[in-house]
Amino acid sequence: MKDSLTLLFRIPAHPDSRCWFLAWNPTGTLLASCGCDRSIRIWGKEGDAWVCKSVLGEGHQRTIRKIAWSPCGNYLASASFDATTCIWKKNQEEFECVTTLEGHENEVKSVAWAPSGSLLATCSRDKSVWVWEVDEEDEYECVSVLNSHTQDVKHVVWHPNQELLASASYDDTVKLYQEEEDDWVCCATLEGHESTVWSLAFDQSGKHLASCSDDKTVRIWRQYKPGNEQGVVCSGTDPSWKCVCTLSGFHTRTVYDVAWCHLTGSLATACGDDAIRVFEEQQLSDPQQPTFTMTAHMPRAHSQDVNCVAWNPKEQGLLVSCSDDGEMAFWKYQRPEVC
Amino acid sequence: DYFVFRVNGCITSAESVLITQQSHEELCRVLNSNKVRSNQQKLVVVSVSPQSRASLAAKFQLTPLDAARKLTAFFKKLGVHSVFDTTFSRNFSLLESQREFVQRFRRQNEDKKALPMLASACPGWICYAEKTHGSFIIPYISTTKSPQQVMGSLIKGHFASQQHLTPDQIYHVTVMPCYDKKLEASRSDFFNPEYQTREVDCVITTGEVLRLLEQEGVALSDVAPAPLDTMFSSVSEEELLSHSGGGSGGYLEHIYKYAAKELFGIQVAEVQYKPLKNKDFQEASLEKDGKVLLQFALAYGFRNIQNLVQKLKRGRASYHYVEVMACPSGCLNGGGQIRAEGVSSKDFLQQVEKLYESVRTEVPELNPRIEELYEQWLGGTDSEKAGEMLRTQYHAVEKTNTGFNIKW
Repeated sequence: MKDSLTLLFRIPAHPDSRCWFLAWNPTGTLLASCGCDRSIRIWGKEGDAWVCKSVLGEGHQRTIRKIAWSPCGNYLASASFDATTCIWKKNQEEFECVTTLEGHENEVKSVAWAPSGSLLATCSRDKSVWVWEVDEEDEYECVSVLNSHTQDVKHVVWHPNQELLASASYDDTVKLYQEEEDDWVCCATLEGHESTVWSLAFDQSGKHLASCSDDKTVRIWRQYKPGNEQGVVCSGTDPSWKCVCTLSGFHTRTVYDVAWCHLTGSLATACGDDAIRVFEEQQLSDPQQPTFTMTAHMPRAHSQDVNCVAWNPKEQGLLVSCSDDGEMAFWKYQRPEVC
Repeated sequence: DYFVFRVNGCITSAESVLITQQSHEELCRVLNSNKVRSNQQKLVVVSVSPQSRASLAAKFQLTPLDAARKLTAFFKKLGVHSVFDTTFSRNFSLLESQREFVQRFRRQNEDKKALPMLASACPGWICYAEKTHGSFIIPYISTTKSPQQVMGSLIKGHFASQQHLTPDQIYHVTVMPCYDKKLEASRSDFFNPEYQTREVDCVITTGEVLRLLEQEGVALSDVAPAPLDTMFSSVSEEELLSHSGGGSGGYLEHIYKYAAKELFGIQVAEVQYKPLKNKDFQEASLEKDGKVLLQFALAYGFRNIQNLVQKLKRGRASYHYVEVMACPSGCLNGGGQIRAEGVSSKDFLQQVEKLYESVRTEVPELNPRIEELYEQWLGGTDSEKAGEMLRTQYHAVEKTNTGFNIKW
């Protein structure tokens, strides 16, 4: 099983600091990293090696917690503990901070672009989730402030092809939001985790959502539309989300991140026990009660907590991870033949 | 309440004590002590907001006038001495806002922060502005007191002396659509140190009036009506009066019409509103020969306030006046209002709005009682006393570092 994941490179991306998060651009040619050193680094491939192409400093006063590429790949958004979100515009290989979004009371924890590129979501320790609208002139307006969570909101992610937003919180829940008339509303609350939900990932179809938690589990939630054959109750016209699988017993500490490969369906996790794991849904397993098998386990993938895992969107099996040790690692994942 | 309880957690524990001290139980305690201690009685005055009245009218399917009569009867049966209507004191708030705007407009070249003038009647907005944007935003906020606090000055000042009482011998209660009004009432600016008393001693929300009714075991619809107290109420021959321009007080509309006439000699019959991104952000502009003379806006709810503040910070707000309210849909949708039961909250709000708008409107300038009070009570419109009684100030609150330095 160990052979299914091999280390390609290890790079001190944010030396003497923590590396918090990694984000591939939509074409998979550039990788952005961010950390406690308040910088963003852009990595590109030169020959066989990944090298730092640019460093984006000067944007934030405190830790940069997460970053997100716009669907067009021309903008990068960064969420910082300084309570702001910066929008960086790419010009050749240079990046310029074109806007700073203010409004959150304190630490911004995550940022995500909707598939259309015209909406952006941010979330914060102030317990709120904000939806922003972007116009042609790069002007941002807040279109909604959502106060559904009762605690720190850790992560936001958009559905891959609908304007459906999901958030994960210290209040142990996941919430889903959609637009109704001229405002956004919380349309579902996913309860089940027994501690902080740290991250979320939709699968390629958007019918499944994976959530990972401080309770050491990963849960797989499935969308059921009104009138579904399985008889899962929906209220009104909104779909309902049901937990169809819980991956427990694999992780020995907090699961900080989960990534669902949109090319192959492989599910990778980043864990506080310094390990990276990959899971595959068993073929022929009941879609209403799918079974996942662990196909890769890399103990000591890093020397400290693994904070993030990210699949390259174009190259099958190319996985990156980063850690509190300030390093990022590139991995080649070979899917086992029978799983 | 929109801000204080749900958004910012900007409320300190001292403030939360001030809020919980004001409740319908507290009113009952004062009324009971009046019954027990006949020698130390307090005169109890209740001033009801028109937004609360409309909410109760919708709940019990009454006309606003019936609701007012029945509320008067209910409070008096509990031992309240007088029941007034804050629409009356709103006349002062509107007139002062109008005059303040024209003065600010005229000094806009010398004073860069004269415009846009931002409304001051919403305590949720004021709390947020003081705590989050402090000294940057404060100069823009109108110095005019809200109808609640004008009523406070009127009751503890003019009314008290008429009754030959000291301010502390009166217990003044207001019925309001929002919890943040409790915070407003407890501001140090509205405390009389000489008599150790507040202009408004206790604010109870519309929902708390409903609880009081339930506690007494009566439905408002079953209460036999009583005649209205007319001294400080907007009443004309047993008919209620209101102001045009919507359920948040009509500040934009009154200032717009007054300024159009005063500054440009233009008589405006009806203000045209243009909804922008959402129904809670609307613009109204006065144009002449293709030139924009006045650019006004309504900005309700947190998201629109955010965008307004950001525009101001970037120097991109072209407005002269903005009616800012913290609650989406404004005061009729305040957090202290009665919650819908059996109908959707949207339908219930529509009923409340319809009832509110069913009351005939008056123009504050044409109210002879107000004119009289400016002379008798305040010694003229621009007197020092008018300034003391009808204007207020704001205080930037330094952001406290909570010492949070957590890893995540």
